[in-house]
Amino acid sequence: MTQLVVQGLRLEYPAARGGAPFLALSDVDLAVEKGEFVTIVGPSGCGKSTMLMLIAALLRPTRGAVSLNGQPVAAPGPDRALVFQDFALLPWRNVLKNVELGLEMQGVAAAKRTDIARKNIDMVGLRAFERHYPHQLSGGMRQRVGIARALSVDPEVLLMDEPFGALDAQIRQVMGSELLHIWERDRKTILFVTHDIDEAIYLADRIVVMSASPGRVVQQIKVDLPRPRGLSIRTSAKFNEYRETLWNLLEEQVRQSGSWARGEGGA
Amino acid sequence: MSERAQSLVLGVLGFALLIAAWEICARNGLVNPVVVSSPSRIAAAFARQWASGDLATDLATSAVEFAVGFGAAMVAGVAIGLAMGLNRFVEYAVDPFVWFVYASPLIAFYPLLIVWLGFGFATVVTVAFLLSFVSIAVNTLAGVHAVDPSHMRAVLAFGGGKRDLVFKVVLPASVPHILAGARIGLGRALHGVVLGEMFGSNDGLGYSITRYAAQLKTADVFVPLITLVVLGVAINQASGLLEARLLRWRA
Amino acid sequence: MGAFVNPRWLVGSAAVAAFLVVWQIVGANEIIRSDLVSYPTEIAASARELAASGELGANALATLREFAEGFAPAIVVGVLLGLGFALSKIVRNLFEPLFVAMYTAPLIAFVPLLVVWFGVGSTSKSVTTFLAAVVPIAINTTTGVRETQESWIRACRAFGATRAQIVAKAILPGALPVVMAGLRLAVGRAIVGVVAAEMYVSTLGVGRLIQTYSTAGRAAEIFVLVGVVAGFGFVCVGLLRVLENRLAPWRARA
Repeated sequence: MTQLVVQGLRLEYPAARGGAPFLALSDVDLAVEKGEFVTIVGPSGCGKSTMLMLIAALLRPTRGAVSLNGQPVAAPGPDRALVFQDFALLPWRNVLKNVELGLEMQGVAAAKRTDIARKNIDMVGLRAFERHYPHQLSGGMRQRVGIARALSVDPEVLLMDEPFGALDAQIRQVMGSELLHIWERDRKTILFVTHDIDEAIYLADRIVVMSASPGRVVQQIKVDLPRPRGLSIRTSAKFNEYRETLWNLLEEQVRQSGSWARGEGGA
Repeated sequence: MSERAQSLVLGVLGFALLIAAWEICARNGLVNPVVVSSPSRIAAAFARQWASGDLATDLATSAVEFAVGFGAAMVAGVAIGLAMGLNRFVEYAVDPFVWFVYASPLIAFYPLLIVWLGFGFATVVTVAFLLSFVSIAVNTLAGVHAVDPSHMRAVLAFGGGKRDLVFKVVLPASVPHILAGARIGLGRALHGVVLGEMFGSNDGLGYSITRYAAQLKTADVFVPLITLVVLGVAINQASGLLEARLLRWRA
Repeated sequence: MGAFVNPRWLVGSAAVAAFLVVWQIVGANEIIRSDLVSYPTEIAASARELAASGELGANALATLREFAEGFAPAIVVGVLLGLGFALSKIVRNLFEPLFVAMYTAPLIAFVPLLVVWFGVGSTSKSVTTFLAAVVPIAINTTTGVRETQESWIRACRAFGATRAQIVAKAILPGALPVVMAGLRLAVGRAIVGVVAAEMYVSTLGVGRLIQTYSTAGRAAEIFVLVGVVAGFGFVCVGLLRVLENRLAPWRARA
């Protein structure tokens, strides 16, 4: 069943003084099945994070629409929960209180809030740390808090914006496999933006490849790897094939945009 | 309309609204115009004090006291701060006294100052000096502490002595902190001038405020008062501009 | 033992002790007129007398009341104004220049006017306290709110927060440490303001006492009273620090 539909999504930033208007996202179409794990890759500045913000309705599109279960999406809401690259935790709240944030916005009663939050903190393995403040946690632990916070509002779709981008390579792999564990339980729909090719393959049912700016969908690749996936799958021949395909696709995008010569632009 | 123009217009509008509301309240008897006064009465008082030369005399007196008090504070503050920063023993020994001067209501000592220094100029200058020099000293000290040791090593590596260290590295590197301290010190010196004049002098803007207030001439009170407010803002703006100019070398 | 003694503390207290000894010798032996400089043992005796007679207690209480009556509303009004400045460009542009003018002008200059308006009693002192405190609180609240991180607001918005919820859950707690710093500044200004206002004219209060003993040429009592005022400031700032650590334990930044 198709759950999330993105239709002709376009975002244009008005011209700054003396400049041309900037086209961040150019007419993107995308349909996501319920329970599907979709990863989105593309060169830096291709608007993949922007697309997520549009789906979350933290940004307004210039044109086009997003709908969830056939209903048009107009405002941020608990049906689409975000996980941010910079964690976006509130430093004056401990782990428990941070996880409760989204529930507070929905007006859930205090006792029930704590209940739900505890369950999700358990799930991400932070039971012993619920009284800790963010500055007392490592990067990986902080992002577990971010994930628990998002899961607590029981969203239809989980929107993850390079959630492991700020972590070092090893922690990143561990977090990836733990995310899959959590996902296997209730198979929530996930849209996961990353610039890490291995991560994109390892996690996904389907990979959406986007072009350099203006961002468009260039290709979609179904990932036919068996689940549940262990870390060893990353060394399999099939995985390598996907890796090569993706690498070539992305290299071509980067070359065309000229950002190869400029080096990495901003995300 | 540009952001700058908009904020300027609104800022002026804020003042204008305040003045208009005040005048209207005074004219309609909503407030007692004798006690509270009104913009038109203040304007008249301003013209009167200007024509008689009272305002100019007050302003000149206060300005000289301010300049002498702050000037002395600047010299003493930088010297003490530097001495504390360059010698730990001096720093530890002087520190408690500096904080006492900073934390206590110094004006309480004005009768002692009057006995020592006489009523008027010297007392006012001393109050301004005492209020102002501490912030300059404390900031100079912070500036010396913040000097990058690698810069000192560079001077030493090229055969510089202690003198070179002080004049070629420590002082120039402390300038931003010293200026920040001076800016605070300017405000405190002006405060000191007014305090000194209110309690220990028969001249200047501060004294005039108390004299007119004692005579219940509210409109006249506002003339030196507004002059002081304008002076405060002008000094602050000017020091900000000067600071920006002197610190152009910082990126 | 052989414990390491902090040299700062050691040298500092030695210097203070030396100063007290010299002061005692100079004052007690009338090397300088002792009615002008007094000396430590005389000051200690005066402190006991002032405390025992109840004179100090009654006046300190009066000052404390004036202070509290001015400071409490200053917190509420200052925070609200600061929020207004930070969240509305129009409010900021309309009123901020007036505020900056108030901040840079010597507050004490307003006291005679306030006495004309509010009388020689405690009201004019409370108003002085209020004016001294409200400006740094408002300015710091504005700064605190402007320094709020975008990510905190984004987190709240992503979960569907309303504007009021964003203010309550992200902006105010985020601004709290800077607001607390503003309160510390305000305490210093307000104490000097209330004491100077009492010295200018009043019927009761520590400043009134200072004025009385000043005109009587009693240096010992003045030192006691200055010590009391400085001590009160010290205690207030200490309490604010404790409160801040309670309210913002997350500030122990990594």
